[in-house]
Amino acid sequence: MNEAVVDESGTDGVMRARFDYARPATAQEAIKLKSQLGEKARYWAGGTDMTLLWQRSEIQFDHCIDIRQLDELDYISVEPDSIRIGAMASLSLLERSAEAHHLLATLSDITKLMCTPQTRTLATVGGNLCNASPASDLSPAFVAMNAQVVILGEDGERSVGMFEFFEGVNKTALRGTELLKEVTIPLPSAGQIAASYRRIDRTVVDIALVNAASALTVSDSGEIKKASIALGAVAPVIVRSEAAAQPLIGRTLDELDDAMLAAAGEAASKDAKPISDVRASAGYRRDMVKVMVRRSLADCVEQLKG
Amino acid sequence: MTMLKVNNRTLEVTSRPDRTLADVLRNDLGLIGVRVSCSEGECGSCTVLVGGEPCTSCLMLVNQAEGQDITTIEGIGSQDDLHPIQQAFIEEQGFQCAFCTPGFIMSAKAFLAENPNPTADEVSVAMSGNICRCGAYPYIVRSVLRAAEKLRKSSGQQAAE
Repeated sequence: MNEAVVDESGTDGVMRARFDYARPATAQEAIKLKSQLGEKARYWAGGTDMTLLWQRSEIQFDHCIDIRQLDELDYISVEPDSIRIGAMASLSLLERSAEAHHLLATLSDITKLMCTPQTRTLATVGGNLCNASPASDLSPAFVAMNAQVVILGEDGERSVGMFEFFEGVNKTALRGTELLKEVTIPLPSAGQIAASYRRIDRTVVDIALVNAASALTVSDSGEIKKASIALGAVAPVIVRSEAAAQPLIGRTLDELDDAMLAAAGEAASKDAKPISDVRASAGYRRDMVKVMVRRSLADCVEQLKG
Repeated sequence: MTMLKVNNRTLEVTSRPDRTLADVLRNDLGLIGVRVSCSEGECGSCTVLVGGEPCTSCLMLVNQAEGQDITTIEGIGSQDDLHPIQQAFIEEQGFQCAFCTPGFIMSAKAFLAENPNPTADEVSVAMSGNICRCGAYPYIVRSVLRAAEKLRKSSGQQAAE
């Protein structure tokens, strides 16, 4: 039963940039198309940010290359040495993958803080990362987990650290026609890893005023082998605080008392370079970094002690 | 030419690609149960099901929905044969002005398919992507709980038959 509906104007009367649309069948095809169309073409994933930018005329482009439905980039898989998350995995897929691994459970909890249930079905992990918002909820967690990203280009793949991927506000290591393929979270070959994310916000849909993620890897005897602390919304890019993490290495879980966690928070706070804006003052943000770092570390310790 | 499968009908839409699904559903197909309020994916009024999953249709390009099953409020019940969730919203008066109601009902439909026996708190979380400016939230939660009950009963009946 087909019915033809003819539309020539039928919009809401608001003038916006016009563009044409293509849905390539493979990632390689998308890259080829982008290289043909050049600067005026944009990759389009879940579109939850792009639609807004387009509607507000904040971006100019002539061609939309829709990659949202590329099945080859839509997966979450747990392997012995890593967790691999395809760039087009939706936030709702990530939300539902909690059972597969405890690090995915941490990430699943994070997605529940992001936008709304019916935008999480559209939004993708890759889109969130490529938008490179300093207040992103996932970015600090991936940085703390020492994740790598795999980038697809015309001449094959390359890997970049999650931390190095972010180059500025809305700026990433992607060049030219490159496309984000996946996020890889390495898993320790011995011992255990735990990660936690904390943020200050007011309600659902809010973005973080301040956030922090921690990850600790301990040996079977409970000695901390790796520690990583990442801060969001306190600089143009995610901040990695070595000063906070370093003193924890070599300690045992039992040695990580309140004073040590608080000291890590203090050290992290010194690495934060927050601004004052409509959401919060720099001073408040710096204070809250201390609290978020302390709490996220305490979460990790609790998880590891079981 | 875009082929849309809306409410079990296949429709050819002649449209520019630079339009949102919500815009086309409302203005081309006359499905005005799809409400557009914020146009930013925050209020949930434009919630429709795409492939069974709830989506804010104001943030989706019309072409992105091509080939997938789209369900709007018009597709789940009619005036003479209301969907159990619609009936429950009436019985519990889960609205005041009702502008947001189609969005709430579509969210509830997707949620109850996944969690047929929710607690009130789970309903609140699941409905967190829909805003009701009249503030009918307590009634909406009760409506969804009653809808869950109705749906459980009818699926139990079906199983018994």
